[in-house]
Amino acid sequence: MSEPLDLRPPGRPPRGFKGPFIAWGNLLVLAWLAVAVLLFAVHRELGLPVWLPLHAFLLGSLTNAIVVWSMHFVVALCRVPSPSPRRMGFGLGALNVSVLLVLLGVGTGVHWVAGTGAAGITVLATVHAIHLLRLRRHALTGGYGYLVGYYAAAAVALAIGGTLGGALTAGGMGLYARLLPAHAHLNLFGWLGLSVLGTLFTLWPTALRTRMPADSMRLARRVLPLLLAGLAAMTAGFVLASAWTVLAGLVAYAIAAGVSLAPFELAMLRQRPRRPAPWMLAAASFWFVAAVLIEAGLLLGAGKPDAPAMVVGDLLPVLVVGFGAQILTGALTQLLPVVLGRGPAEHKRVAAVLGRAWQVRVIGGNVAAVLVAVDLPTPLPSLGWVLAAICFGAFVLLAMSVTVPVVVRGALPASNHGGATTIGIAVGLAATVGAVLLGAGGAPGSPEPSSAAPVRTVQVELAEMRIDPPVVRVPPGTRLMLRVVNNGAAPHDLRLANGARTDRLGSGDSELLDAGVIDGTVDGWCTITGHRAAGMTMTIRPAGDGRAGPEGIDPAARPGPGWRPRDAALPPADAGTLHRVELRVSETELELAPGHRQRRWTFGGTTPGPTLRGEVGDRFEITLVNDGSLGHGVDFHAGALAPEEPMRTIAPGERLVYRFTARRAGAWLYHCSATPMSQHIANGMYGAVIIDPPRLPPVDREYLLVGAQLYAGEPGSDPQVAKIDAGAPDGWQFNGTAGQYVHAPLAARAGERVRFWVVNAGPGGTLSFHVVGGQFDTVYREGAWALRPGADGGAQTLGLAPAQGGFAELTFPEPGRYPFVDHDMRHAEGGARGFVDVVP
Amino acid sequence: MIDVWTLVRFVHIVGAALWVGGQLTISLAVLPPVRTLLGPDRRVSVLRSVGRRFAVITMAVFLPSQLATGLLLAWHNGVTWQSLTEAGYGRLLLAKLALFALVMVAASVHGIAQGRGRAWLARAAATAALTGSLGVLLLATGLTAG
Repeated sequence: MSEPLDLRPPGRPPRGFKGPFIAWGNLLVLAWLAVAVLLFAVHRELGLPVWLPLHAFLLGSLTNAIVVWSMHFVVALCRVPSPSPRRMGFGLGALNVSVLLVLLGVGTGVHWVAGTGAAGITVLATVHAIHLLRLRRHALTGGYGYLVGYYAAAAVALAIGGTLGGALTAGGMGLYARLLPAHAHLNLFGWLGLSVLGTLFTLWPTALRTRMPADSMRLARRVLPLLLAGLAAMTAGFVLASAWTVLAGLVAYAIAAGVSLAPFELAMLRQRPRRPAPWMLAAASFWFVAAVLIEAGLLLGAGKPDAPAMVVGDLLPVLVVGFGAQILTGALTQLLPVVLGRGPAEHKRVAAVLGRAWQVRVIGGNVAAVLVAVDLPTPLPSLGWVLAAICFGAFVLLAMSVTVPVVVRGALPASNHGGATTIGIAVGLAATVGAVLLGAGGAPGSPEPSSAAPVRTVQVELAEMRIDPPVVRVPPGTRLMLRVVNNGAAPHDLRLANGARTDRLGSGDSELLDAGVIDGTVDGWCTITGHRAAGMTMTIRPAGDGRAGPEGIDPAARPGPGWRPRDAALPPADAGTLHRVELRVSETELELAPGHRQRRWTFGGTTPGPTLRGEVGDRFEITLVNDGSLGHGVDFHAGALAPEEPMRTIAPGERLVYRFTARRAGAWLYHCSATPMSQHIANGMYGAVIIDPPRLPPVDREYLLVGAQLYAGEPGSDPQVAKIDAGAPDGWQFNGTAGQYVHAPLAARAGERVRFWVVNAGPGGTLSFHVVGGQFDTVYREGAWALRPGADGGAQTLGLAPAQGGFAELTFPEPGRYPFVDHDMRHAEGGARGFVDVVP
Repeated sequence: MIDVWTLVRFVHIVGAALWVGGQLTISLAVLPPVRTLLGPDRRVSVLRSVGRRFAVITMAVFLPSQLATGLLLAWHNGVTWQSLTEAGYGRLLLAKLALFALVMVAASVHGIAQGRGRAWLARAAATAALTGSLGVLLLATGLTAG
């Protein structure tokens, strides 16, 4: 039996159709494939989820192909009466309307539309399965009966997989992470895989032009139960989150698929065919088995309960490009000539058109499969998708060029001009799409980032169907940057209603997203199908009133990119007795709270300014240079002198030299002496001078913390001045940034003696320094020892009024994380806190 | 408001209508009956004559008038070399010009291929030019919006 396939079209063409019914069916397949290729090319530009091209291909193109061809094979091979073309036309129409509903519903985010489409597909798949099983009873030849078993099982898998898909579009009922891989595997390995494997038993010998191996039908019957058992185990394993059950299912499925495909792959190696179809079928089969094995390997390597969801994302590109697209082009390359041509001469003509440059397309398609399958650096996977679109898009054009004339006129074009119109339209369309993308790039109405808007960076975490924080508040007019991190196992992205969006982020990936200037409420969500419905949403709100609200200070937020903590470690004084320092006043943008950068007035570019340290009797010579735009001065509490001259306000561009001798020990404040001082201090113009008390015992570590109130807003602006005058700060901070030592804890070892120097820079309010879990045995405050080791008593806080300073010492009793706070708890909660990480 | 610029726009639009409408009319209304009703010899001579005439109209009337009115309109709209790269009107105009250039290339390929008897290439180039022309109209519609 050298030609096992009788591929006569089943049934007569219905009225109105010039071409045979099956040509119409294949035109649908090709049209969906064209839509999928086009969507793959432009979905990013148009802001559409990758889900759309994926399902246009899997659900549109492949599903139509399977329905049309499975019915054709069953009718032709099992010699059963063909269903009426009217009935098949109705079924195919209903299927395509359902697919359209699914795509539209997901594209527009209307769940019930997508759900209706999914329900339609489930019903049609069930009807298809029942119909096939009823046909088997009428089968005239028994040999090909196994085909019905494969196709009916595949249809059942689609019915279940489609139901799960419908549930996923509505959020997955809280089981999203389990249902997604079950849905993907039922449809890819069940609906697609079983249909393909069943067909290959007869298609491959035809493609190879060889005899069908004598025992292959028996083999086909034998492996089906193993394939089904594997599929059932995979599905159950995913739903029950049991990685081992999934693995067992995958192994069973891989063995069954390998056993059924091996004879043909071996035959290929012996024969080396010179025609395209066998090569495409062989390459597709290779990727199919490879995908199953890769998944089993990944699962075995990860060994995590949430691994299955992760695996879906890794596997889909291989299955789509390597397997799905190649099996479809291979099968159509083999089958279309028989369907479209009347007689051997026309068969040859069609085959010649479909075979144009096939070697290049096969090599290109498989290189593309490698590029998208392997985790390569960024431009390469995209190149892979482009290459795949070119190779398979070229096939669509070639196939369309022969299918369209047959469908429209009922015959191939008379001359060899076939395809010129199709190719011409395709080239013109491609140029138009390119020009539209070029012209529409960067929509004119999009808010250009204005340099004047204050910038704020907030970290957003995506994980387990949640976006954290769900609400981000920023002052109106703030340019918001979101650092989006995917901490979940599955891929996620973030899209905002104003059009800003991230790439699809794999597990552990992050991206900085410019959310634009925030003037009103902006919703955000994950665009991956069903994730929004499952609860992956967030809202950006312009902050309303409330003390900390207007400036959006959130001490619990994460610092922005590039932020470095100020080193709190206090180095010992220089050996010399003369300390020369140049202090340049500058206006610099600094992070005064996590993710909240704004302009600050500074001594030396930092807040607090440089720390000066010396001993009693040391001479300090400070050169103040005003590089700012306002008048500034400086006042060192560590020295005593007539203030008129050295503390005078100097104009921008001027300089003055300030000399003093430190006569007394203490932790002293220095600050800007220009009026209004409250504003200059509140905006960052302060620092500390440490004059060690004589015979100060050495300790293991010394830290300096300069506490201050935090007033956000443009320095000197009316709203900021009003808050300063009212004593209503937006937060509190140590060393210039609220909460910075929460993110960069200080270090110590258990048993070490640690000295904390603390200065309260104000401009107002008290500071009550406390280490949670620790007790001070030494307190030195405002020039006097309040407590020394050896006494019975201990101290819990070092209390400081504005402009007071001192130090406290303790030893940490055991390893652990010790919080330190300003024990005015409103201050601690507003940012005056941090941690000491104590290690053994 | 009707002023001299209305007239310039009118000439520009009439030119586009002549070019795209002419292509559509030839493809959809002239070619099919010519193919079915005429014998091979007459068919070739009729099509050649139609093609020549359309090429002459293109070169002598359409291109000069489109370029002149297009340049005037661009000047009137304050288009500069730099604004061509900016998102919005400039970038859209640049895309339209680029697509128009491609259409002209395709039309030339059609003419040359037709002359040398390479029917397949001529036909592909003709349909590409027609599809691209519709794309130019699409972009032009975008330019006048708002």
